[in-house]
Amino acid sequence: MSLLSILGVLSSAIFSGTSLLYTTLGEVIDERSGIVNLGLEGVLLVSAAAGFAVTSWSGNPFLGVFTALLAGGLMNLILGYLVIHRQANQLASGLALMFFGFGLSALIGKSYVGTKINALPRIPLPGLSGLPHLYTSLFSFDLLIYLSIPAAFLVSWLLFRTRWGLSLRAVGENAETAFASGRNPRLIRYQALFIGGLLAGLGAAHLSLAYTMTWTEYMTAGRGFIAVALVIFSKWHPVRAIAGALLFSGAVAFQLLLQSSGVQISPFLLDTIPYLITLLVLIAWGGTRKQSAPASLGRIYYGTE
Amino acid sequence: MSQIANPITRPVFFRYRIWDVVGRYLLMVLLALLLFGVILLISGKDPIQSYKDIFSSTLGSVYGFSEVLVAMIPMLITALAVALPSRVGLINVGGEGQLYIGAAFATWGALTFKDLPAWALLSLMVLLGMIGGAFWAFIPGYLKAIGLVNETITTLLLNSVAPKIIGFLIFGFWHSPMDTVKTANFVPAARLPAFLGTRVHLGLVIALALLLLFWLVMKYTRWGLEMRSIWGNPQAAKRNGIPINTYWITIMCLGGAIAGLAGMVQVSGFYGVLLLNFSMGLGFMGFLISWLAAGDPFGIFLMSFVVAMITTGGNLLQLTHDLPYAVINILLAFTLFVVLARPTLIKGKKA
Amino acid sequence: MNQKIFYTVTAIVMSSVLLLAACAPAATPAPPEAPTAIPTEVPTAVPTEPPTAAPVEVATEVPTTVPTAAGPCLTIGALYGGPITDAGYNEAMHESVMAIKQNIACVEIIEAENVPDEAGATTTMENMIQQGAQMIIATAFNHQYPALTLSQSHPDVIFEHAGGWEMGANFANFFGEPPDAWYLMGVAAGKMTTSNKLGFVAAFPLGWTLTFINAFELGAQSVNPDVQTIVAYTFSWGDRAKEADTTNSLINQGVDVITMHVDSPSTVLSTAESRGVYSIGFQSLAAQQFAPEYWISGTGYTLGDKLTWLASTVIDGTWEPIFLRCGMADGCMAVAPFGAKVPAEVQDYVNQVRADLEAGNIIVFKGPILDQDGNVKVAEGEELTDDMMSSVDWFVKGVVGSPK
Repeated sequence: MSLLSILGVLSSAIFSGTSLLYTTLGEVIDERSGIVNLGLEGVLLVSAAAGFAVTSWSGNPFLGVFTALLAGGLMNLILGYLVIHRQANQLASGLALMFFGFGLSALIGKSYVGTKINALPRIPLPGLSGLPHLYTSLFSFDLLIYLSIPAAFLVSWLLFRTRWGLSLRAVGENAETAFASGRNPRLIRYQALFIGGLLAGLGAAHLSLAYTMTWTEYMTAGRGFIAVALVIFSKWHPVRAIAGALLFSGAVAFQLLLQSSGVQISPFLLDTIPYLITLLVLIAWGGTRKQSAPASLGRIYYGTE
Repeated sequence: MSQIANPITRPVFFRYRIWDVVGRYLLMVLLALLLFGVILLISGKDPIQSYKDIFSSTLGSVYGFSEVLVAMIPMLITALAVALPSRVGLINVGGEGQLYIGAAFATWGALTFKDLPAWALLSLMVLLGMIGGAFWAFIPGYLKAIGLVNETITTLLLNSVAPKIIGFLIFGFWHSPMDTVKTANFVPAARLPAFLGTRVHLGLVIALALLLLFWLVMKYTRWGLEMRSIWGNPQAAKRNGIPINTYWITIMCLGGAIAGLAGMVQVSGFYGVLLLNFSMGLGFMGFLISWLAAGDPFGIFLMSFVVAMITTGGNLLQLTHDLPYAVINILLAFTLFVVLARPTLIKGKKA
Repeated sequence: MNQKIFYTVTAIVMSSVLLLAACAPAATPAPPEAPTAIPTEVPTAVPTEPPTAAPVEVATEVPTTVPTAAGPCLTIGALYGGPITDAGYNEAMHESVMAIKQNIACVEIIEAENVPDEAGATTTMENMIQQGAQMIIATAFNHQYPALTLSQSHPDVIFEHAGGWEMGANFANFFGEPPDAWYLMGVAAGKMTTSNKLGFVAAFPLGWTLTFINAFELGAQSVNPDVQTIVAYTFSWGDRAKEADTTNSLINQGVDVITMHVDSPSTVLSTAESRGVYSIGFQSLAAQQFAPEYWISGTGYTLGDKLTWLASTVIDGTWEPIFLRCGMADGCMAVAPFGAKVPAEVQDYVNQVRADLEAGNIIVFKGPILDQDGNVKVAEGEELTDDMMSSVDWFVKGVVGSPK
C-alpha cells in the first residue's frame, strides 16, 4: 500500500463525503428543532436534478449550485407544511416526500440524462503545486469542498452561539415550553427546515455538479438515509458530523483499496461496518438519553391555537 | 377512525362506517389525481388520456387487474407488519430490512431442501421467512424494551444493513453460475402457485388470511384489548400487571415475522429467485399504507389497492406518453400528501 | 355534516364516471398510439461512426414495404435497462434500434427505458404487446427470462434478446462480439501506458466481463509483457458515485489507462480526465466527448444493420431463431477514432492488428493461456468457444483482482 493509495483513500473520502456532510449538517439543524426528515433522498434527488438541469442549460455551474440550494429549501418546506401546519406524522410525511422526490427528479432530469456539463472548477490545495500531477489531482478540490468544513463550524456557531440557535434547541427539547417562554415554535421549525434544505441542496449540488458530473435517476443511492444515520452518529453535533462523514465515505474508499489489493473480504460486509459502528455508538451512549437526542424529536406540536 | 357524527341526523344510508371510509378515501384520491393532472399538463401531456390509460390498463382488462392484485400482495403484508406494532405504540420502519432477511432465510430453505415436496418446502419457507424477519426485529425490540434506543432509529439503521447482507450471501454463496447478481431459479416446489395463468399467487390468500386474523385478534381477543391499553397508557397498563416489555419484544418480533413473510412471498411467489435489491421500497410502502389507514385492516386493504393501481397503471404511461416511469411516484406522493394533510380525520389513533 | 354526504356522493359519482370511461375503450383493442415515445433529440456531440462493412450473409437491400392503410408494416417494442441517453450501453442499443426505422420507414417503434428488473420487464413487454407490438427487442441482461416466459404465452410475437443464450420457437438472441475489440483496445493501452498498470472498472464479476478483461490484458501483453490490469468492482451497473470512487482508487494505485464495463462510461471517463489519466471507452461511441484530451480509443456496439435485417425477416415472414453474433469485421463492433494524444505509429500498429483480427490471423483466446495461479486454462492448440467465454470464472496471468 503506497503513500499514494493511502492519500487516495483520504482524497476519496473527502470528495465522496462532502455531499454527505452538507446533508448531515442540514439534518442536524432539522432534528435539533424536533423534526426528522426521512425524505432526504427525495430532497437530494430533486436538488441534484434541478441543479444539473440549470447547469446544462446555462453552462454555468454556479447558477446550478444556487438552483440546487433553492430546490432543497423548497422541498423541505413541503415537509414543513405537512408536519407543522397539518400536524401530520413526520415519518410518513418524510417518506411521502421521498417518493415525490423520486418522481419529480425524474421529470426534471429526463432531458438531461447523459449530457456533459461544465463541472464546478477545481482548484488545487495551495502549496501543493510542486508535486507531480498525480498527487495534485488528488487534492484539487472545488469550492464546495473548501466550504464544507467552515460550513460545519458555521452551523455549530449558529446552533450554540446565537439566540436563534438557542430558540431552535429549546423548541427541539420541548415545544410547549418554548412557546410558553415567548418563542414561536412553528416559525422556528419552518426556518430550520428551510436552512436545512438549503444545506441539503448544497450536498446534492456537489454530488451531481462536482463529483459524478452527471445525472441519472436515483443517483443518490441512499445518501439521504445515511445522513439520518450520521446525525445520530454525531450525536446531533455539527462538528462531530465531519468525523462521521469522513468515516462513512472513507470506509467505502478503503474497501475499494482492499479489493484491488486482492484482499478477499466481501465488499458487502465491509459496507455494513459504518452502520454497525453507528449502532454500537448508539448502544454505548444511548440514543434517547437526554444529552443526545432532542427530546421532542418526532413528536407533533399541536400548539395552543 | 374518527367518530361518526350524530347518527340521528344522518340518513340511514350513511350510518354505516364503510361509506365514511370509502367516501373519504375516494375524495382524497380524486384530489391527488387533480394535482397530478396539473403536473401532466405542465409537462405537455394530456391528463385525460393519461388517466384513461391508467384506468384501462389496470381495471379494464383481466390481465391489468391481475397485475394490480400481484402488486398489492406484498404491500398488504408489509402494512400489517407495521400495523401490529403500532397497536402497542411501536414504530416499525424496519419493514425493508425484515423483508430482506426473511427472504434470505426462505431462500436458504429453498436452495437447501430442494427435494422436498411442495407443501413441505413451502411451509418450511414460510416458517423460515418469519423466523428471519423476527430475528431482524428482535434487536430493535430488545433495545427498546431495555430503554436504550428508540426503535425508529434502530430499525432504520438495520434497513440499510440488510440488503448488504443479501448481497454478501448471493455473491459469496448462492449465486447462479451464469449470473452473479441473483441465485439460481427456485425449483417449482419452492414457488407459491399462481392462479389461472396470471401472476397472482397464493400469497394473496396468505395476505388476506393475515388481515382477517389481525382484525379478529384485535377486536375479539384479550390480547387485542391489552395491546390497546398499552398503546393508550403504558404506565397504567404496567401498573395493571400487563408485562409491557414482553409485549414490546414479542410484538416487535411478530411484526418482523410478518414482514419476513412478505419477503418470502415475494421471492417465492413473484420472483422465483433471490435478487439484489428486489424490494423497491416495499417496507416503506407498507409503513405508509398502515399509517394512512391508521392500522385499520379495511383501510389497509383499500389503500394497498389504490397504491397498487397507481404503480401498475403508471407502467403504461411510459409507453404511451413518453414519461419516465418514475413520474408515477408523483401521483403516489400526491395521494399520500393529501391524506397526510388531513390529520383531523385520524386524530386519536396515532400521534 | 351535509358537506360530508355531498363530498361522498360527488366522489362516488366521479369515480363511476372515470370507471365507465376506462371500461369503454378497453372493449376495442387500443390502437397503437403515434409513437410519441421516439425521442427525436440526438446528443449533439455524438461522432456518428458509419458501419463500414455490410454484413456478408445478409441482403442489405431491405424490401421497403409500403405501409398499408391499416397501419405500420411492423410494430417493434424495445426495452432498455437504463436511460437511452447514457452515452453507454443503452444509448448504443437505442441507436441500433432506431437504425431499423431509418432503414425501413414503415416500421413503428415503442420504447421503454429504465426497465432494469425482471418484474418491470414482464409488465412492460406485456403492455407493449397489448399496444400492438409484434416484435420485442429486449436489450438488458436481466430481460432474458421474462422475455422467454412471455414468448411462450405469445407465440405470434417474435422476441429478440441482446446478449443471452436461450433459444425458443419465437425467441432468439443477438449480440456483438466484444472480445476481439477488447483485445485491440488492450493493444492500444499496452502501447500508451508508461506505468505498465492498466485499470478496469467493472460492475459485476460476470463471465462476459471477465472475458473482456482477459482479452484486454492479452492484447496489452502482446505489446508489453510486463503490463498488469487491475480490476475493481462497483457491484452496480450504474452507481455513479461508486464509479468515481473506483476510478480514483485505481488511479491512486498507479494506473495510467482506465477502461470500464459498466452501463455508462461517462463518469469513469470524466473522472479519469480530471486526474489526467488516459482512458478507453466502451459501450457506445458517444463516450468520447467525456474525455476530450486523454482519450485513446474505444469500442461500441453498432448493431443497427443486423437489427434491420432481423426486422426485415419478420416483416416478410422468413424469421427463424438464430444465435446471432457478429464482430468488428461485420461492423457490429465499431472502433472509435483515436484521441489527439495517440502518436501516429501507435495508430498504425493498432490498425494493423485490427486488420489481422478481422482477417482471422490473430485469435484472441488460443492456447496456451494460463490463469493467475499458473494453471493452464486453455491448452496448446485449443480455443475458447462462445459458450466457454460466457462462463469464464478466472483471470489470465497479469490481471490483478478477484474473479469472484
